[in-house]
Amino acid sequence: MRVLGIDTANLTNTIGLIDGDRMVTDFAWEARDNSLQRIIISTDLVLKRAGLTLAEIDGLAVGIGPGSWTGVRVGVTVAKTLAYAVNKPICGISSLEAIAYQARSASILLCPLVDAGRENVYSAFYRARGKTLAMEGDYYVGNIKGLTERVKEPALFLGKPAHLYRRAITGELGDLAGFGSPSDTSSGCVVALLSLTRFAAGAADDAFSLVPLYLGESLAQALLRKKETEAGDE
Amino acid sequence: MLVLGIETSCDETAAALVADGTILSNVIASQIDLHARFGGIVPEVASRKHVEAIGYVIQEAFDSAGKTHTEVDAVAVTSKYGLVGSLIVGVSAAKAMAYALKVPLIGIHHIEGHIFANILSNPGTPLPHVCLTVSGGHTMLVHVKELCQYEVMGNTLDDAAGEAFDKISKFLGLGFPGGPAIESLATQGNRAAFNLPRPLGRSRSFDFSFSGLKTSVVNMFKGRDRETLPLPDIAASFQQAVVDVLVSKTLQAALHKGVSAVSITGGVSINSRLREDFSAACGRQGLQVFFPRRDLCTDNAAMVAAAGAARLKYGEMSQLDLNAIPNAPLESIGCAGKHC
Repeated sequence: MRVLGIDTANLTNTIGLIDGDRMVTDFAWEARDNSLQRIIISTDLVLKRAGLTLAEIDGLAVGIGPGSWTGVRVGVTVAKTLAYAVNKPICGISSLEAIAYQARSASILLCPLVDAGRENVYSAFYRARGKTLAMEGDYYVGNIKGLTERVKEPALFLGKPAHLYRRAITGELGDLAGFGSPSDTSSGCVVALLSLTRFAAGAADDAFSLVPLYLGESLAQALLRKKETEAGDE
Repeated sequence: MLVLGIETSCDETAAALVADGTILSNVIASQIDLHARFGGIVPEVASRKHVEAIGYVIQEAFDSAGKTHTEVDAVAVTSKYGLVGSLIVGVSAAKAMAYALKVPLIGIHHIEGHIFANILSNPGTPLPHVCLTVSGGHTMLVHVKELCQYEVMGNTLDDAAGEAFDKISKFLGLGFPGGPAIESLATQGNRAAFNLPRPLGRSRSFDFSFSGLKTSVVNMFKGRDRETLPLPDIAASFQQAVVDVLVSKTLQAALHKGVSAVSITGGVSINSRLREDFSAACGRQGLQVFFPRRDLCTDNAAMVAAAGAARLKYGEMSQLDLNAIPNAPLESIGCAGKHC
């Protein structure tokens, strides 16, 4: 199965193509160069490198976040519209799982991090189970201290923020904390690889209703919710 | 030529199919009820809603037109002017459609869309003419010299006219959006009840300012118990002040350019008082006046498709690196980045 994978949730945007479990080509660019401007040109580049047209792929996979709200909207909207336009199945993949997948051979708890702004991170815990990853517990959004308080065993911290906050993490966890390579990030190919089991299980997503995983709300929404809750309490 | 139009510049997710000036479908998913809870448009909420709705809206545009993807000749999208997070969703979808269907992509300025809302409704509108496009997001006077040839004559210096309606409506406790609420209440009021300013009314510039008018109303009635306020009279007087300024500036601009016709577009052009006063004043001056069909006054994608078709006819199209630019100037054809 040929799958085009897209992930624009992180600082590094990436598009890749797989053919079965073989990575055919992967392309990355920095989000500050503009996700919206580059996404279709990069898609075209990846397909041309592989000598394929969009109609010749069998499915699409897209990182749905958590990550940059605007970035992930570009990736999800483009991926689902491409899938709709050429009538191919689509699968939304957690951008955190895509980072954790890079360290799937490790036997300890995996803790991928994505920057959430204001010194916060998005995270989740994963454990390798054979060839796949199992998520443990819920997604996390908050500061590093809150995250490290949840870690009670040796854990491998992954993704660019892991290196940014390395001192803080080590300060809290000491020898329990390990760190992956600074180059561990999501990749279009990994997002595509993660979709294979989902496609095989008949668990593709609906291109119309697929939306990003935000793990947070806008300030206005938060204020309104607070106001409505308070009004309800009275 | 069959053009798919996509418009997400503010709080409406819209898609339309237009074939050579004929609207085959015009689908709009409005978010207005969602934003009413906040008392105004929340950009992050709007962006999220666009992502949720965009696929369904595009599909509905094809279904109700009875057309298939392979019949589309081009994709036009609002890429300039609006909320950046909202524009991004439409541009993402439009690029994906154009790339997948291997057809030209054309980015359109939101204001050009509104100019075409009238041309689509009234193909006989003379050229040149002066277009006043007025909504919650903009108030602009444009000299439409030829198709896709523009000179921006005036702009609002602060609030858009529709925005002033929203703010006064909020102040009076009438809710959001303010336009329909104030218009409805104004029908029971006396529009000469309060002497409100006509900002820049005597100025020779074609610019608008509504912030001072809003402050005048607020200062006149703040601190008063809402129950004691003569709400219909305030609504009618305020509405009349806005309409008077819009009418006088537009007529001034038309006389200055020596055109024989004006068009009034955008969400505020639905307002009945505005339509009546424009018709009367233009009649006195011997000017023709044109308004779009009511469903083309507010944001829609049919107007974007029509503008796209016109630009494509001149051979203009966008590259696949098209960006979303929230405050781009309105440019004539062939003038991208130049001062024409």
